[in-house]
Amino acid sequence: MTRFVIRRVLWMLLVLLVVSFITFTLMHLVPGGPWSREKALAPAVVAALNARYGLDKPFFVQYANFLLGILHGNLGISYTYQDRSVTQILMQGFPKTAILGTTAFVFAMIVGISLGMAAALRQNTWIDYVCVMFSTIFASVPGFVLGILLMIVFSVVLHWFPTGGWGSPSQIVMPAIALAALPAAFIARITRASTLETMRQDYVRTARSKGLLERVVLIRHILRNSLIPVVTVAGPQFAALVTGSVIVETIFSIPGIGRLFVQAVFARDYGLIMGTVLFYSFVISVANLVVDILYGVIDPRIRYD
Amino acid sequence: MATTVNAANASSRPHHTLWGDAWVRLRRNKLAMAGGIFIIILALAAIFAPLITPYGFARQDLTAILQNPSSKHWLGTDGLGRDVFARLLYGARTSLAVGIFTQVIVLGIGLPIGAIAGYAGGRVDNVLMRFVDVMYSFPDILLIILIKAILGGGIYQLFFAIGLVAWVDIARLVRGQMMSVKSRDFVAAARAMGGMGPYITERHLLPNSLGPIIVSVTFNVPRAIFTEAALSFIGIGVRPPTPSWGSMISDGYAVIFASWYQVFFPALAIALLMIAFTFLGDGLRDALDPKLRH
Amino acid sequence: MKRKTVVFSMLAIIIAAILVLAPACSSGTTTAAVPQILRVNLGSEPAQIDPNQASWAQEKSVVSQVFVGLLGFNQDLTLRADVATVIPTVANKGISADGLTITFKLRNNVTWSDGQKVTANDFVYSIKREFDPTLACAYASFYYDIVGGEAYNSATNATDAQLATLKDAVGVSAPDDTTLVVKLNNPQPTMLQCMALWPVYPVRADIIAKYGNNWTDPPNYIGDGPYLLTEWVHQDHLTFKPNPNYWGTKPKLAEIDFKEITDANAALAAYQNNELDIVGVPSGTEKTFLNDKTYDDQRNLFNDLTTFAFQFNVTKAPFDNVLVRQALSCAIDRDSYISNVVGGIGKPALSWIPPGMPGYNATIGSQYAFNVTKAKQLLAQAGYSDVSKLPQITFSYSNTAANTVRAQFLQGQMKDNLGINIILDPEESKTFTTNVNSGKFMWAYFGWGADYPDPDDWLPSLFGTGAGNNHTLYSNPAFDALSATALKEQDNTKRLADWDQAQKMVMDDAPIVTIFYRERFNLVKTTVKGLKTTGMDGGIIGDTFFNEVSISK
Repeated sequence: MTRFVIRRVLWMLLVLLVVSFITFTLMHLVPGGPWSREKALAPAVVAALNARYGLDKPFFVQYANFLLGILHGNLGISYTYQDRSVTQILMQGFPKTAILGTTAFVFAMIVGISLGMAAALRQNTWIDYVCVMFSTIFASVPGFVLGILLMIVFSVVLHWFPTGGWGSPSQIVMPAIALAALPAAFIARITRASTLETMRQDYVRTARSKGLLERVVLIRHILRNSLIPVVTVAGPQFAALVTGSVIVETIFSIPGIGRLFVQAVFARDYGLIMGTVLFYSFVISVANLVVDILYGVIDPRIRYD
Repeated sequence: MATTVNAANASSRPHHTLWGDAWVRLRRNKLAMAGGIFIIILALAAIFAPLITPYGFARQDLTAILQNPSSKHWLGTDGLGRDVFARLLYGARTSLAVGIFTQVIVLGIGLPIGAIAGYAGGRVDNVLMRFVDVMYSFPDILLIILIKAILGGGIYQLFFAIGLVAWVDIARLVRGQMMSVKSRDFVAAARAMGGMGPYITERHLLPNSLGPIIVSVTFNVPRAIFTEAALSFIGIGVRPPTPSWGSMISDGYAVIFASWYQVFFPALAIALLMIAFTFLGDGLRDALDPKLRH
Repeated sequence: MKRKTVVFSMLAIIIAAILVLAPACSSGTTTAAVPQILRVNLGSEPAQIDPNQASWAQEKSVVSQVFVGLLGFNQDLTLRADVATVIPTVANKGISADGLTITFKLRNNVTWSDGQKVTANDFVYSIKREFDPTLACAYASFYYDIVGGEAYNSATNATDAQLATLKDAVGVSAPDDTTLVVKLNNPQPTMLQCMALWPVYPVRADIIAKYGNNWTDPPNYIGDGPYLLTEWVHQDHLTFKPNPNYWGTKPKLAEIDFKEITDANAALAAYQNNELDIVGVPSGTEKTFLNDKTYDDQRNLFNDLTTFAFQFNVTKAPFDNVLVRQALSCAIDRDSYISNVVGGIGKPALSWIPPGMPGYNATIGSQYAFNVTKAKQLLAQAGYSDVSKLPQITFSYSNTAANTVRAQFLQGQMKDNLGINIILDPEESKTFTTNVNSGKFMWAYFGWGADYPDPDDWLPSLFGTGAGNNHTLYSNPAFDALSATALKEQDNTKRLADWDQAQKMVMDDAPIVTIFYRERFNLVKTTVKGLKTTGMDGGIIGDTFFNEVSISK
């Protein structure tokens, strides 16, 4: 197992390198730059800015400088936010996004798995219909609409929570619900589908015919074996939630890192783009690694040759 | 011995193939048929929209903006006085096309990659999955802006842009399923009988792991519609005034405090489409489940 | 199946009911002693609050609270002496007769928030810093008429020694602590207005030297204005408290909160939930908020110095033909846009310079009032009596909710009035800017807001041959000659007459089609008193006079 993890970590470094190179290239190919604006800056000013940030150097020199910076633990500086270090910006925003994302993830998993399993075990009853309906609604209503609905109901009308911002627990509730809605719906349906399949397996029939209690059958046989696809989707979902959602963070004004990448792209903030892409890539790779390890734990038959 | 018995029975027992049998079972599933028929009717309504509604999707009536549903405008009007029902119908063209065709791309890429990775294992699996990791972190917005700048923003660019990254979830899902199913006894049995990789994959592995894959496809339909709306923000896809359900929701969101109908009707349409796909998908899974064969 | 439909429709009804009830709820809660806290929405995170480097409206809002300059603007946009004792004029010898030297006399009681005195040297430092090529300040070019400014600002590859020499050669000096002398290359009548802008607010050389880039973080952000920036939680909010050492009239507010809510609907919900005192009305919902009785005493409308237009690329057919441009201008029903689509907010525009500032002339451009017959005639004169002969017209714009509506409105007008089908090309912001700036467009959306209230700022840099903001590629030697004269004309009456003629020239040639002058529509809680809005407001309305605002019951 240790050898497996070490090998994967090495591969991860390669993945990060490839992603950083692709991003760097695309970034410079895309029209517009950090200094393009409607009321155009004087050419002398633009030249001065390019010199200051090293943008007048050849492409590969710039990339090499970036890599050198990474080796020294420096993720670069933001071109639009007063030269603040990217690491500092990420460190300020990440805890908030991570807390929100983890809360939403836990909520989505609990609601999703229990609803999905209940729906499968009681197929074609009212709980099954609730599951299908709930999952459809939360997949057809985009996050920003759900967010504003929550805001109107729970803030403006009921005054239970503030409309947004960060700092107190009451400000996590609505964004977490908005964030968890779609993953919960997806996990519920995946769990339901997987559980239905597992239930039809022969060994389940055998277990039941042996006279085992339904509860035992459920926990010992059905649960574990249904979880593979759930874990598969849970990994990337967790990574996505922890790196933040543009939509939820925008609507609820959460000062996290979810909006960071998209904002950086639209502002052509080269420094911030590179730093955040590397960060996201790292989180995703780690999440997929954890998922693969979990496969082995859940289903002992799965082996990585 | 077996052959004589079979020959004797051949004339009295109709020939069942996996897919033929599946089709029969699907036909018997009322919900699934309802779903399929709904999709077909929607497609026809979208195609024959000019016959159904007198309003075009671009006909502006500036004196009648943001009106509530009435006998004149069944679902009301939008911010430029255009009939919402008409825009929903015409918008179905874009949204159905996007919703369905992107699944073709997503399955066309994701399914084989996931299946090969899962079945082959080892080095092949590792390389493919690292490729998937790269695609997960891929800065698609950058590429999409670039595509728009270089190739323009038509409907093919849209499919490319959506399909580019959307297949990674399916690939990982299929791979996970493959890995867990391939170690089961019936697979060993099939191998013992001389079955090769692709045969085993098609006949045994896939039908046994369809459930989650079908769910993923069902969820991808609204997801693709919303991605299309997000991409139209960058200028890829259909251009105004051509409507699409996703863009109607985005436009409606901006004026949600003035009229919530603008968001409600397209969202309802998407929900109905997704339900139809859900029933169809569930039916398909039941139909293909070998355990339910007679 | 039935049960599902029932539950689903119940859910829909509940959601519907809630949405109908929601706007009806406005809350106002006050306790015994009314806290003097003003909460406003800045929108997005300000990137640069260093006065020399600030350029965006949000940044200006922050700078305006913490700094005061030599001059400022009154509510009617006339100049006001702030740190200076009087506005320099030729009469009071503040401006030399040849117009090349401006002398400011400073008050001697002006202090920084840490108690130190503001001297003329602080202004010298600030102005020179504005030209510093390593900082690349966006507004440096506004002050190029100052001797040595442009040379210093353009010296990108100079050595340190060369830079030092150029810096010393900049024509600002402080003969004593309360006198500032500014030398110009030519007389520039609007230099006083530029001196009232934030890029030349005083800054502290020692603080900047000590803290470098971190000097804009509280508590290092030392200013001479009525407020102190006490807290800046990045991406979240900024908090201002009164400057204890303020030399002017003490502000009434005990605290100002700038929140950073980027979503317009979320901001409105925050206002309805009594978390904000001022909020902008989301674009497209104007009619609703105009007609809703609950907001009767909360509506705040005022004219902004911003004009929106569609600009042609006059080098691309068919827009190289002035008759075609004029024809299209006549085919747009601006009144219908204002009264129908945006509920009457804004004013239809036939000329370029908006009302509320010198240079506005309601008669200019009146020949382009909506007249379909005339439009068709002009097209026929241009050779396009059959519009299908026109090359395909593409209209580009930066994709926002409001622009999408405006672009489709234009599309509808072209189709309904002239039978012309135009293609819409929405683009993401920077791509759009880059394309426009490099001439890769036919017809594009375009807006301009005043940097200072004078035609100086509205004409030469936009319509002069080869000027920095001239993307229509319009070129008219007569206009260029007129501009050159007017920029230096010291007789104000003659100067404005020149600009009037210049504006008329431009509008006759129609390189742009003006559509409307912006009117800002905000909701303000009834508890906010003393709010003064001006056409020069930044990201937040009334932000230039927050020192006069108070909160009542």
